[in-house]
Amino acid sequence: MFLEVTGLTKRFGGLVAVSKLSFGIVRHEILGIFGPNGSGKTTLLNLIAGITVPSEGRLMWKQQLINGKPPHEIAALGIVKTFQNPQLFAELSVTEHVLIAAHLKLKREFGLRRIATLMRPAHHEASLDDRVERVLALCRLDGVCDQPAASLSYGNEKMLGVAMALMCDPELLLLDEPATGLDHEETLNLVDVLRDLRNHGTTLCIIDHKVGFLGSLADRAIAVHHGSKIAEGPPASVLNESAVIEAYLGHRHA
Amino acid sequence: MRTSLAWLSLFLVPFVLHNDVALAILVFTFILGILAVSFNLIFGYTGQLSMFHAAAFGIAAYATDLSMSRLDVSFWVGAIIAIIVVIALSLVVGTICFRFRLREFYFAIVTLAFSEMTRLVILNWNSFTNGSLGINLTTTPTIWLPGGVVPVAGTRMWYYLSLVSLLSVVFVCTRVVQSWMGRCLAAIRLNDELAETLGINVFLYKLISFLIGNAGAAIAGALYAFYLGYIEPAYLSIEQSLAIVAMALLGGRETVAGPVIGAFILTALPHVISLSAELRVLLYGAILICTILLLPRGISGLIARPRYVS
Repeated sequence: MFLEVTGLTKRFGGLVAVSKLSFGIVRHEILGIFGPNGSGKTTLLNLIAGITVPSEGRLMWKQQLINGKPPHEIAALGIVKTFQNPQLFAELSVTEHVLIAAHLKLKREFGLRRIATLMRPAHHEASLDDRVERVLALCRLDGVCDQPAASLSYGNEKMLGVAMALMCDPELLLLDEPATGLDHEETLNLVDVLRDLRNHGTTLCIIDHKVGFLGSLADRAIAVHHGSKIAEGPPASVLNESAVIEAYLGHRHA
Repeated sequence: MRTSLAWLSLFLVPFVLHNDVALAILVFTFILGILAVSFNLIFGYTGQLSMFHAAAFGIAAYATDLSMSRLDVSFWVGAIIAIIVVIALSLVVGTICFRFRLREFYFAIVTLAFSEMTRLVILNWNSFTNGSLGINLTTTPTIWLPGGVVPVAGTRMWYYLSLVSLLSVVFVCTRVVQSWMGRCLAAIRLNDELAETLGINVFLYKLISFLIGNAGAAIAGALYAFYLGYIEPAYLSIEQSLAIVAMALLGGRETVAGPVIGAFILTALPHVISLSAELRVLLYGAILICTILLLPRGISGLIARPRYVS
């Protein structure tokens, strides 16, 4: 198992956001997590990414316990998360965002030799430019690369979040509602990008309530309601399960 | 290129300007410029409003002189000891503040408290620091020139010493800001939660910027004390901290050297316009308010392009 979640629980005061959740993520798969609003999906991803500290349970990443590690260490281990509401560095340009996200790449490549590059800054940038260009083209941001992030459309803001995550070379990419707010065309492009990523060896874990988008993309799905798992299996059968339909719609139509 | 020429032309000023008072104003500008530039690395680039800067400045002034008189070392060794002392103390203060993730207002208040604490220690440790009477300095730094070791005497020598020191600090800050590290600092300033999820160790880089900045303040402290020839606990006062903030805001926090302009204005103003102390403070306040309202990017913001981090 690539990532193994066992008995994961998060309480905020009296509210149980995630309750004794257990599941695994297999290498190279796309795992979809379904659930209505407020079902604890975002909290779950925040727990895995280290943004929120679990109240109980274990998170094992490649046989290593990662509970309670700070987010930057988890990112360095290869788990990167995007945000549901785009988180950006408002006054910086799109290219600069992607350059900032190259931090881990530089750290892996140069280690402490990075300190020497402070005195001659242009040295390691050349190796980055190529990569930056490719990521921007892949996410269809090459046309807006010099614009400040604050001027982007919502769809582009979301794609910039994905572009930054890609720049981190994640082994496991956690996507929090990546398709929300994207138009049809943008969604199709996103699906292409994500399939392409998977084919290149990245494992994906995607949250969404756009059933159509995620249903066609995911290899496997779990459904979450009130912080607990209510179904697991192939996306089509998960979405057909009565407990899932009830969670979304109340109860089955006559 | 334009900035390099501006810096170079500063080396020629003493050949044209023979007025000792005017040169002295420039010496103070350069030394306080070091203080403001290094402060701005923490404030303008990393986004942390540190009120510990005057403390680092004052501690270094005392540490330089005390290590010289107690350990019988030269000014330069004394200054290096002072820098080490300041870095060690900043490591403690920075670790406490950043581990507890103090931000904005809370960070400013806690660093101010640390600053006041050190000021009170210095004020009351009479046997060591001579308390509120301060210390008169009788020695002067020496430098190595092709002709041999010469004492730094006279405004002209001080002019070059402080200018070279300022240039070194500006150079180091520019390198930091224009590198991958500068990108980390910008990321932390603009959205530290996002920076953290992109693998940037927010704690570490805040601490590094705090240490580099305070080391700069230490250099300024050592120079200022020996140029003025007098050290007193007021070096560490809140007023000094606020003056540093004012220099950075006035000069512009989006460029490395911008705060030097602020240092120049605040140093030169009292000499150009002779006013009573109370009126002068009033004028400072008015200038600061006008700058913040009308020129949020400071004076250097009038000529510099909007910030570009890399």
